[in-house]
Amino acid sequence: MNPAVTLLNLVLCFAGFGALALSLDRHHRDALGSRVPAGRVLPLRLAGWCLILASLAVAIAFEGANFGPVQWIGALTGAALLVVGLASYRPAWLRPAALSALPLGILLLPVVLAG
Amino acid sequence: MRQGLRQSMAWLHAWSGLVVGWVLFAVFVTGTASYYKAEISQWMRPELGAVQADPVRSADLAAAFLKGKMPDAAGWYIELPKPEEPLITVHWWKSLEGPFHQALLDPETGAPTKARATKGGDFLYRFHFELSMPPMLGRYIVGACALVMLVALVSGIVTHRRIFADFFTFRRGKASQRNWLDAHNVTGVLALPFHLMIAYTGLVTLAPMYMPWGVQTAYKGDEIRFFVESGMMPEMRAPAGRPGELASVGAMVATATARQGEAPEGIGIYNPGDAQASVVATFEEPHGLAHLHPQIAFDGATGAVLATNGGVRAAATTSAVMVGIHEAHFAGPALRVLFFLCGVLGAATVATGLVLWTVARTPKGAREAGLGLRLVRILNLGTIAGLPVAVAAYFLANRLLPVDLAARAEWEVGAFFAAWLLVALFGAARAEARAWPEAFAAAALLFCAVPLVSAATTGAHPFAAGARFVGFDLAMLALAAGFAFAARKAGRGVLDTARRRAARTPAEEAFQA
Repeated sequence: MNPAVTLLNLVLCFAGFGALALSLDRHHRDALGSRVPAGRVLPLRLAGWCLILASLAVAIAFEGANFGPVQWIGALTGAALLVVGLASYRPAWLRPAALSALPLGILLLPVVLAG
Repeated sequence: MRQGLRQSMAWLHAWSGLVVGWVLFAVFVTGTASYYKAEISQWMRPELGAVQADPVRSADLAAAFLKGKMPDAAGWYIELPKPEEPLITVHWWKSLEGPFHQALLDPETGAPTKARATKGGDFLYRFHFELSMPPMLGRYIVGACALVMLVALVSGIVTHRRIFADFFTFRRGKASQRNWLDAHNVTGVLALPFHLMIAYTGLVTLAPMYMPWGVQTAYKGDEIRFFVESGMMPEMRAPAGRPGELASVGAMVATATARQGEAPEGIGIYNPGDAQASVVATFEEPHGLAHLHPQIAFDGATGAVLATNGGVRAAATTSAVMVGIHEAHFAGPALRVLFFLCGVLGAATVATGLVLWTVARTPKGAREAGLGLRLVRILNLGTIAGLPVAVAAYFLANRLLPVDLAARAEWEVGAFFAAWLLVALFGAARAEARAWPEAFAAAALLFCAVPLVSAATTGAHPFAAGARFVGFDLAMLALAAGFAFAARKAGRGVLDTARRRAARTPAEEAFQA
């Protein structure tokens, strides 16, 4: 098993959950000081779900249909825990952290492909 | 009184969770530790170096040892050395009713190992499903608790009003009951797939033991036949009844390795002193989710291959996949960390649920807590703070007890239970508000002491280059940090409650009541 794939799963799930958390009024207010603008909810939710599904696709592509989903579910838990931690203790970091997860995921790609 | 579905589910959740909570907490903690069973065993036998043992030679050495011990045994079993456990474990028995004898052998010499006597990670692993009780009784209790845990999980899901809206919500600094509920919800929901999986697959693991009647009825006493027909065992032969000479087990291991492409993990030798002895090599593979254990049976007298186990069909594969996911032997280091994290969340879900039960029932104002509530509080502290202290004491005893002490392994277990009992008694005697931070602080100190004591007694600098136990030491320090944080939180909670009580207005008081 390639630890870089696990990491990429985590990063994608983290960005996805970050977007989903920011689509909720409570966390948006904590992170950015206002309720979610009406036109922002749908794009954030779409992005969130797409990233989470992308993580599943990566897991299955690199770890197979048997290990992939197991690893994906583990990554879901780990990433969601990080998002909860940020949302409660450092809400202002939530958006920058979720956004910087994306370039980190791209940086991981060559490592994943090489492994 | 008519109640809605949600209220009745909330009632069911609270009481089912309470009844099994203490056992479940212990099962979660020891089970989570068992994801690192091999690493724990390695740490607890610091004398063993990293040996690349030869499986062929190891098998011959073990067979020679066993022949000296019990030549007319009903069976021997040899666990070959692994990189993470460089020892040969041998078992021998006169009858399937027991007693089962066991010894650990040095893979270089074939003599009993010079490593200190310890149960290692095996103690925590067996505690996970036998609770240090007579095995059958422990398994029944754990199984019953797992069953009730499924009830608690499903009723908890129904009770939770806002799974999606509150998915990420952990409100800090709000009223204490809200806080505990948030913590319980977050730890429960985030790892919900794991919780459901682990409770269900745990039951499946022992299901043939819990419900043997189907197999008993269909196979009428010949239950071995069931395992052969379901493809989990190769066909075995009956003993001839006349003595025979066992061929080289090492040679059979070599043949098995050549056929399968890797060395077997274990060798069973049945009726070793008989002319029709059977030798069965068991493999830890395929390396998939399923734990299927392909096997090759040899004629003990000639070393010729007799049979392999048949193809495993859908039902047996399903069961093997469930056992496989429960044990997660397939998980690489990164995934194993996630499994471990999920296990910790499981323990946290149970712990926060138990505390929440008491917080929600604490009488308002100056009224005394009833006997039942006080009992639950004492058991909560004794379990939630006591078990971690016990685990730390178990590790410390491994380093502090004299290496040549008689019954040393039992003394280590004794230290585990003594420490646990001590914390439970302390919690019963001390005021609750003081007991929690103090017990957590004790756990933090003890876990912090583990790497230090280990360095002092084994003479190995914990962070020296090439040190073997850096991961273990760091895990101990992380646990220490976690308990120090918990102690601080618990200490501050005491102050907050006192301050809030003092500041509460009559209107708030009325609202709370």
